[in-house]
Amino acid sequence: MAPRVVVLSLASDFGCQVQLSNMTDEILDVLGLIDLSYWQLASSGHMPDAYDVAIVEGAVTTDEHVALLESVRATAGVVIAIGACANTGGIPGLANLLDLDERYGVVYGDGDGPRVAAGRRAPMPLDSVIAVDYHVPGCPIDPPEFLRVLSRVLLGLKNRVPDLTMCASCKINETVCFFDRGELCLGLVTRAGCGARCPSLNRPCTGCRGIAPDANLVAARAISIASGRPEGALDDALRIYNTAKEVRG
Amino acid sequence: MARLTVEHVARIEGHGNITVNVESGEVREVRMDVVEPARFFESMVVGRRYDEAPLITSRICGICSPNHVVTSIKAIEAALGVEVSERTVMLRKLLVYGSYLQNHATHLYILAAPDYVGLPSVFPLAETMPEVVERALRLKKLGNDLTTAVGGRQVHPVSAVVGGFTSEPPREVLASYRDLLLGVVEDAMATVELFASFQVPDFQTSGEMLALTADDDYAIYDGDTKALDAGWRRPASEYRSFLDETVVGHSNAKHSTVGGRPLLVGSVARANINAHMLNETGRAALAKSGVTLVTRNPFHMNVLQAVELADASARCAGYVEKLLEMGGSSAPEPVAVRAGVGGSATEAPRGTLYHSYEIGADGVVLHGDVITPTAQNLANIEADMRAFAPTVADRDEPEFAVLIEELVRSYDPCLSCSVH
Repeated sequence: MAPRVVVLSLASDFGCQVQLSNMTDEILDVLGLIDLSYWQLASSGHMPDAYDVAIVEGAVTTDEHVALLESVRATAGVVIAIGACANTGGIPGLANLLDLDERYGVVYGDGDGPRVAAGRRAPMPLDSVIAVDYHVPGCPIDPPEFLRVLSRVLLGLKNRVPDLTMCASCKINETVCFFDRGELCLGLVTRAGCGARCPSLNRPCTGCRGIAPDANLVAARAISIASGRPEGALDDALRIYNTAKEVRG
Repeated sequence: MARLTVEHVARIEGHGNITVNVESGEVREVRMDVVEPARFFESMVVGRRYDEAPLITSRICGICSPNHVVTSIKAIEAALGVEVSERTVMLRKLLVYGSYLQNHATHLYILAAPDYVGLPSVFPLAETMPEVVERALRLKKLGNDLTTAVGGRQVHPVSAVVGGFTSEPPREVLASYRDLLLGVVEDAMATVELFASFQVPDFQTSGEMLALTADDDYAIYDGDTKALDAGWRRPASEYRSFLDETVVGHSNAKHSTVGGRPLLVGSVARANINAHMLNETGRAALAKSGVTLVTRNPFHMNVLQAVELADASARCAGYVEKLLEMGGSSAPEPVAVRAGVGGSATEAPRGTLYHSYEIGADGVVLHGDVITPTAQNLANIEADMRAFAPTVADRDEPEFAVLIEELVRSYDPCLSCSVH
């Protein structure tokens, strides 16, 4: 029997779900292999009581999200976290840098604000609440990588996330290092797997895939300073995608 | 009596609930609760370097990220006094149109069409009407490929930065898009015919309509804001002087009004205001659409998006032609950091998008402000539901529900955008 799959989103821009819908060459084949039971973005219908695989996008930012994730974990055999928000807290995680009430005031002013915004929490990745079985990092996800992970899920193979840093990809691509031109690039410490898309388009890595497990941050800071960047520049740039992880420790 | 509560309305971007309650012809309650959680983007850009702001605000929306990137970049360039090359402008137009092709194809076929054929999603049509699904995927794919060729990725473009582009597609790749774009004109026309064949309610919105307008183009990338009813035309950068935002209790997105009235932005407003700028293909598509302008029917958003698809395919082929002829460079212009304030707008697929920033002398953002198209539409969506619901309250429950949801979906709402 084809696994029953649900696609869910927490606080996000829906960009990773858009990437799922963007797999125009593969989507019909994928749909032939799974039983797509719930996908609010693409289909009417209610969230079923039973399902096998949950694909979750977005950061945890409300008490409702926590309750939803707990029920997802209790129901699904497999949870796949897709995108930076779900994996590192991503850009919503930047909100951890200021007091939440203060941020609320910047957006909604001094009045009461919306009632529906109650129960808000500091933005965090999924694994702050539940165990996650498979990870597809990136902002947004790369469809080929998602398909590789989905294949592993369908075949029952273990989660496997590349743990090299982006520098390895740039070497393969023969991309000239940004540090040689005095530009800061987060590829030095960021998890590989996207083929170093941004550096190959002449833009330094912004760290959307999260910090690689073996990243040498001490050496990276020294390289950043040696290339003429001010002290703290590397850590400050890393905060765009990694604040929630940094705050959680 | 007709009652409707829909939680997490399907086939729209983001999370929203609809409540409609009509008793003996009288509307007791109408609400569009936007429960999508706030991510507080305006506070997140504060304290970041000016060149990081477009990267961050792009993540407001995964569907129209090219618009957020380009609008943000233009606002920052206005604040810092950066002039960009004609080549950069042309490439940015292609980038924004790439997101139009992708978005309109997605909205029309995947989100809206199932309502009109009585299906929960478009996927079952792959069996019964494969040619329709294949056409949808072709259009969507071309939009994605165009965005990827110009911006480096379908969602959240990489190469568009303050001052220009970090890289450009090779000439032969760019050239290939001329024929690819002309190749989908037929698909776009078939889309117009398909949506013209769907019966839509005869309903008139009472809201004002706003869209960008320009003297030399169907305004997407730049222009002044024009009000259809009031007749005024004002610099888009001054949007805070004509758009008022109010915090409402049941929505994490603020509601907008213009001169105290709800307003509609998107394809209906654009077509009403800018039909004279449609190209030949667009005019032919409009003739096929069965819509006579000026229209005040929000259900016409769908077929007019299809008209824009036709116009855009031919228009973008022309942009490619110009880029191949014009030469010049899109390499980022040098930026002299200074203190400044700048605002800008583009037309996103679902309506006008405004960004503005205040930047300090050290290049750090002091203040950011974003008003998205769906935030502008929300008050009008509720006003429309209020006026429309009693006219269809005698229908049986499933039909009532579909009609109300159709109305909401016509606006192509993006709730993540609206809250941001």
